[in-house]
Amino acid sequence: MSNRSEQMVPHFDRLPEPEQIGQMATWLAQAGLESLELSNEAAGLKLRICVGQTASGATAPDAPTAAQPDVSAGLVAVKTPYFGHLCLTHPQRDSAFSPVGAKVAQGDIVALLTMDSLQLPVCAPVAGTVATVTGQAGALVGYGTTIMQIQPD
Amino acid sequence: MNETPRFNRVLIANRGEIALRIQRACRQLGLETVAVYSEADADSRHVHEADIALCIGPAAAARSYLDADGLLLAARLTGAQAIHPGYGFLSENADFADAVEKAGLTFIGPTGASIRMMGDKITAKRAMREAGVPCVPGSDGPLPADMETVKAIALDVGFPVIVKASGGGGGRGMRVVERAADLAQAVTLTAKEAEQAFGNPTLYLERFMQKPRHIEIQVLCDTHGTALWLGARDCSLQRRHQKVLEEASAPGITPQTIAEIGTRCAEACRRIGYRGAGTFEFLYEDGVFAFIEMNTRVQVEHPITEETTGIDIVAEQLRIAQGARLGIAQADIGLRGHAIECRLNAEDPFTFMPSPGTITRWDLPGGPGIRVDTHVVAGYTVQPYYDSLIGKVISYGATREQAIARMRVALAEMKVEGISTNIPLHQDLLADPAFAQGGVDIHYLERWLAKRTAL
Repeated sequence: MSNRSEQMVPHFDRLPEPEQIGQMATWLAQAGLESLELSNEAAGLKLRICVGQTASGATAPDAPTAAQPDVSAGLVAVKTPYFGHLCLTHPQRDSAFSPVGAKVAQGDIVALLTMDSLQLPVCAPVAGTVATVTGQAGALVGYGTTIMQIQPD
Repeated sequence: MNETPRFNRVLIANRGEIALRIQRACRQLGLETVAVYSEADADSRHVHEADIALCIGPAAAARSYLDADGLLLAARLTGAQAIHPGYGFLSENADFADAVEKAGLTFIGPTGASIRMMGDKITAKRAMREAGVPCVPGSDGPLPADMETVKAIALDVGFPVIVKASGGGGGRGMRVVERAADLAQAVTLTAKEAEQAFGNPTLYLERFMQKPRHIEIQVLCDTHGTALWLGARDCSLQRRHQKVLEEASAPGITPQTIAEIGTRCAEACRRIGYRGAGTFEFLYEDGVFAFIEMNTRVQVEHPITEETTGIDIVAEQLRIAQGARLGIAQADIGLRGHAIECRLNAEDPFTFMPSPGTITRWDLPGGPGIRVDTHVVAGYTVQPYYDSLIGKVISYGATREQAIARMRVALAEMKVEGISTNIPLHQDLLADPAFAQGGVDIHYLERWLAKRTAL
């Protein structure tokens, strides 16, 4: 991130002004990024900005294959939308995004794919409870790899 | 090889038989391989054999084999220090070659500048003419906007002429004009098509040769000033500009004639500082060679040259990219015997409709002088997303007759079930008297097919 944007991202001790959020969303779109998360646990603040990607942006990864329930157990696989090193814990926290037993909503970030300085979210295809985590943290995983399974609500 | 190799892990940015061919060469040289593949190719043979295999995207080539950024990222994440592009996909993309080198990696192929020069047919032809490579008479540059001047050029060159897009190739963006009266309309149409297809409306024109053969010269150049020519291939049997069957040497053309054109090609390589493997493609008619284009990559039909020269072209590509000197001199290259390649496609042998599906039986031929390059095994599923090439049968013999006989037996031995292949087409071609005589022109196969349909 450039110095300019470092200065312009507000100090996160209170919710930014709508114009500031709008500006950050514009930067995200321009950089071809999907979402930005700011958190200040001490202040109990968390802000996530998601932008819809247009054709002009970088490749908007879509789901590798439609989430298909595992008929035997009724589980839905969470597949990676790109390749990269699998990161199962939040970079600024020690806790796992979604350990076994965690409740997730559809679209929740359940893991990240790290490629050098880039990170791409892996999102839950359905709402439910994490049943298994098969992805190895830190492993290089390919596109479309099943990293966990969700028992849908 | 150098004492400190530039790379010891190669990312193979391709699929199918050529990915396996490159992987074999890497392994024989003690290099590790990274297979990057699309979701559709997860069961491909080279994926299983790779030191590191990484699925980089869905079946669509734009999101996998043509995703330049993704490939560079994959190289970084897997620790590959070199990228072999194979043929097709990004192999002749100058920007990709530049991006690979800019990322500090080795592109196993020529420089981006060489690819760019040869990618533009006008600059390529100009460079070749300056280097003494014979070219077909033509406009010697882009066609001017003024139609009267264009007409004057065409009359000077002599009708029939062929109007071609500077950014075209592989048979696209061209139109034959028989009479001066049809010229203006042809130029306008071709320019419009070229703008749409290649983003570049620039055209040039050449005399249209009526019954030429397609003869090509394989070259191999290191980065120390050595440029070698490895004989000629005759690739005249084509359907819709796609080669079907190729042979080396070219029947009926004397070794002296080939040596003369080969020497000019090698000299042109030295002049432009060409690096790696490449092919000069010519039309040949009435003893005259006319340069059409240079392919700045390894070609599908490279094995027949390997058979007649004993040189492993892909291994040499890797050694050259390491910075090594070619260990052979032109005088060491003997052209021995004759080799034929039949491209096996998963397609109907009569309608040429692609025939994807699961291969239930795959019995390969063998015996002296038979080589099969394929990524296919029994149980393999031919995907509908890519070209239909499923392998190549190459036969070698001391004479052309022996090579043909061995190929006939090989194709009879080969048993493929579950999909249709063009093996029956090859068998019919091998039995054709004109083919047996040798030296048919590039329109022969299409005429032959038209006659077959009419029967």
